[in-house]
Amino acid sequence: MFKSLGGKWSEKLEFGIFTLPVLICIAVAFYIPFAMTIRYSMTKWNGISKHPTFVGLDNFKQIFMGDTNFANSAWFTIKYAVLYIVLVNVLAILLAVILDMKLRTTSWLRAAFFIPYILSLVIVGFIWKFIFMQGFESLGESTGWGIFGLSWLGEPGLAFISILLVSIWQSIGFYLVIYIAGLQSVPDDLKEAATVDGAGAVRRFFSITLPLLAPSITISVFMALTNSIKVFDVILSLTGGGPGGTTYSIAYDIYRDTFQNNLYGYGTAKALILFVAVLIVTIVQLTLFKRREVEA
Amino acid sequence: MKNHNKTKAGRIVLEIVMVLLSLVFLYPLFLAINNSFKSFGEVMTDVVALPKQLVFENYSYVWSFINYPKLFLNNFIITGLGLLGIILVSSIAAYKLARTKTRWSALLYMLCIMPMLIPFQSIMLTVLQLAKDMNLSESTWGLGLLYWGFGAPLAVFIYHGFVKGIPKEIDESATIDGASGFKLFFLVIFPLLKSVTTTIVIIDVMWIWNDFLLPLLMVNGSPDTKTLTLAAYTFVGQYTSDWQYAMTAMVMAVLPSIIVFIFLQKYIVKGVVAGAVKG
Repeated sequence: MFKSLGGKWSEKLEFGIFTLPVLICIAVAFYIPFAMTIRYSMTKWNGISKHPTFVGLDNFKQIFMGDTNFANSAWFTIKYAVLYIVLVNVLAILLAVILDMKLRTTSWLRAAFFIPYILSLVIVGFIWKFIFMQGFESLGESTGWGIFGLSWLGEPGLAFISILLVSIWQSIGFYLVIYIAGLQSVPDDLKEAATVDGAGAVRRFFSITLPLLAPSITISVFMALTNSIKVFDVILSLTGGGPGGTTYSIAYDIYRDTFQNNLYGYGTAKALILFVAVLIVTIVQLTLFKRREVEA
Repeated sequence: MKNHNKTKAGRIVLEIVMVLLSLVFLYPLFLAINNSFKSFGEVMTDVVALPKQLVFENYSYVWSFINYPKLFLNNFIITGLGLLGIILVSSIAAYKLARTKTRWSALLYMLCIMPMLIPFQSIMLTVLQLAKDMNLSESTWGLGLLYWGFGAPLAVFIYHGFVKGIPKEIDESATIDGASGFKLFFLVIFPLLKSVTTTIVIIDVMWIWNDFLLPLLMVNGSPDTKTLTLAAYTFVGQYTSDWQYAMTAMVMAVLPSIIVFIFLQKYIVKGVVAGAVKG
């Protein structure tokens, strides 16, 4: 009897030894900071004074009632996320379909499109800043094309497009390889059967390839959404929020309030709103996809 | 036959178009490398032209100015330490959680993976505060340790899914042979996790090596603790118009990744796909 009790105990002890380290690490990285975020979000604090002053829900009221920075950056992020998700996925599917045709250069092409994805986004932003500011000038002189003469980082609409373009350039390789993997799981005889039946390339794509790509599309849209809601690095190095503060994303706006304006309490309140937004979007997405997968 | 020739010709045209497209796609990287070999005057007059003669002075200047070997070592320590911890603490925990079928265990598993929903920007200020309180800030080792927690949720998730597919009989027969606890895990189970460990290593190395915001908050205070990306970032801030130095710093920051990619391309692409599909 003692023995069995001892066995139970040693089992429990082992369970604790195996799982405690990870729980401590995760608590330090996420749960404790998260609890602190909730606390700070209800205070006013500049980080210098010793103690934050409790202000209840005032920060949240202020954010929703009269913070144009927040409203503008939220609108920017939504526009960016929608366009990014659509464009990066459409382009990646197109490229993947072409690369799946077993060209002789497929492995080179895949590597070429994937390379930017292994680079740090901040650095990618700087390289493109150089291209937009210096490179386009030279390219304009040698080609005479007006497109190179535009102020790609100096005009709000164009700066938005530039950010979108650079983000897509950096990450398209990632979506490309997911779609290629998805296409490879579409059986060749299915495509051939359709060809024999006389289905044209476009018809074949929409009625066979695309439906079979559904799982890959689910993954890619999910990844694109999670990444685009949090867009930050590339804007920091490419436009720095400019021109005239028109390209601040929510994440960048939080960074500005917290670390540049030293509004610790106010910034964390915004950070909490971002968390809730991400949570809602994720839950909605997961339930939508789950329902679709059950139907399929 | 005629039709066959037509599709063949179409294929060649497509192939040429795609190769040209890929070259245009990579042209910005080429321009960055191209201009890192030029003098200031040459960069200003023409970005597109090839350097009249290769100037290596930019490289030696940036190399010693940012203390490149030191930064490289910092990146190496942070990534290595982070990775080691993530693999270790996540694999043993995921194994135990997957093997223990109690409500407790299911709850702890949820606690482990739920943080994947928390965007880093939501907690960045308080992470920094906590790190300062724990004396982890302004140190490469401290940053490496912090990554254990940040990387764990995804790693636990991936390991957990994989362990469920390993038959329990393996554990049982090992127990009969006298192996238990850590011995059972490290000698019997861990080797079976090799493929999934590779996946995690690839995703996490790419993430930690290139990470920006957490290092910016944690180790940007002194030149001794900076990472490659951070140094490149500060460098551009100081040399806003000296593009030849800036581009050299960029090339030096990304070169290690590109070289590694060229050699391990197949594994990296496979790992990234596997990570996305499982995660």
